[in-house]
Amino acid sequence: MTAPVEKRVLVIDDDEVMLQSCQQVLERAGYRVQACDSGRAGLARIPDFHPALLVVDLKMPELDGLQVIDLARRADPELVVVVITGYATIETAVDAMKAGAYDFLPKPFTPAELRLIIGRSFERWLLAAESARLRQEKAELERKFAAVVSHQLKSPLAAIKQNLDVVLLAPDALPGSALSAAERARARLAEMLRIVEDWLTLARITKDTLSEGDATCDLVEVARAVGEEHRASAEAAGLRLELRLPGAPLPVRGDATSHAVLVDNLLSNGIKYNRPGGSLALALSAAAAEAVLEVSDTGIGIAEAHLPHLFQELYRVKSEATRGIAGTGLGLAICKKIVSELGGSIAVASGEGSGTTFTVRVPLCATDKAREGQEAS
Amino acid sequence: MSEAKTILIVDDDPDFVSSIKEIVESAGYRALTAYDGKEGFTVASAQHPDLILLDVMMSERTEGFKVLQQIRETKAIESTPVILISSIYTDLPAFKVMPEAGQQAADLFLPKPVDPANLLKEVARLLTEGRKRPTRRP
Repeated sequence: MTAPVEKRVLVIDDDEVMLQSCQQVLERAGYRVQACDSGRAGLARIPDFHPALLVVDLKMPELDGLQVIDLARRADPELVVVVITGYATIETAVDAMKAGAYDFLPKPFTPAELRLIIGRSFERWLLAAESARLRQEKAELERKFAAVVSHQLKSPLAAIKQNLDVVLLAPDALPGSALSAAERARARLAEMLRIVEDWLTLARITKDTLSEGDATCDLVEVARAVGEEHRASAEAAGLRLELRLPGAPLPVRGDATSHAVLVDNLLSNGIKYNRPGGSLALALSAAAAEAVLEVSDTGIGIAEAHLPHLFQELYRVKSEATRGIAGTGLGLAICKKIVSELGGSIAVASGEGSGTTFTVRVPLCATDKAREGQEAS
Repeated sequence: MSEAKTILIVDDDPDFVSSIKEIVESAGYRALTAYDGKEGFTVASAQHPDLILLDVMMSERTEGFKVLQQIRETKAIESTPVILISSIYTDLPAFKVMPEAGQQAADLFLPKPVDPANLLKEVARLLTEGRKRPTRRP
């Protein structure tokens, strides 16, 4: 059990009698009350008193209630505000709600009404505090989960794979059945490691990681590096890989690793879902304030019915043509997440048997050099 | 006949150490083993291996990085090639060296599990070329 929460209420009213009676009623009901007779005095108490609730009279000299609400909520956005109003018109109530008040008390009110409204408002504050705490806990859990998965789950898998590698160091020493069993086991393990890796990538990509240190990178350099890495596997699959990259850099927001994951996933798909003798092209260009990355293949294509679901986690196109192709169903979800976090878009154009083109657009960030260039031209 | 080159394997997972040991021994290298960062540094200082395979996450999350810095600050072994091995980073080939380790610190980063053929290829390359000193970034 956590310690009981202190129910702190700040009451601001220039009417001494009203102020004292509110204080009495609320203190008897178990609240800790700070009573102030002006907006200025009340606002000054917020930082050290940390009230959950602010009860404020709308009509006061100097700072009026609406101004107090505005300043108080700037000091503490979690503060739940109740207004007291002597002329309970619809307009004043609406104004107060617009300014961020949660509820209002029309004068005159009875102690019971005061307790009811304050009790309800405090419940509201508790709920907000609880949901903030849960949000924080959830983020922490997700972060921890990613860390635990990365080490605790990957390490044993890596050790198993490494030991199978040792078994397979001398394949001639193994009877045929043992050899094929070990090879199958190793292939399945590699598949599982790939799934873990993809889930981790998905968990890792958030706005925070992408904009960490305001990272930027040159998409041309990333595309060239990742493209070259795929040259061998494209050739092995009997495909022609063509890179069409601009000569000048295209600086984009986000770290190089995330962009590399994006390009890597699209190219891997272009190889996996292709056909011998086919081709795969990676084209990069700038259009307006965007970098446009196009990966097009002459592969097996995607039937229209699948297209709307393609970027969903774990969605895989199951057909005769894709049966033998390994995949985690996470690659395009990862791409989508990276692109969305960067404020860009990803689109697909395809038809069964007629190849596929993925088009990614991400905002360019202007470097000093690029700006100079634009000014010069 | 020159003596076999010595490779130190530092990892807190004994199964990983024994399998990597088998793999490097299969290629004719002599293997030394250590099971945490402290032991790894002690063995490295005493035996001067020709190359070190170093795990990153051992009992501490970044233990490997610390050992790496220690190695680079120790005159007798500062230029020993070091391959960092870890399961916590992307396996994209273009991003092998973990930025946290500093480009000038590690010679190579390999994701776990390592591909035996690739490991042996890189080990042979680093043993032949020796440790290149990349220019320090400002």
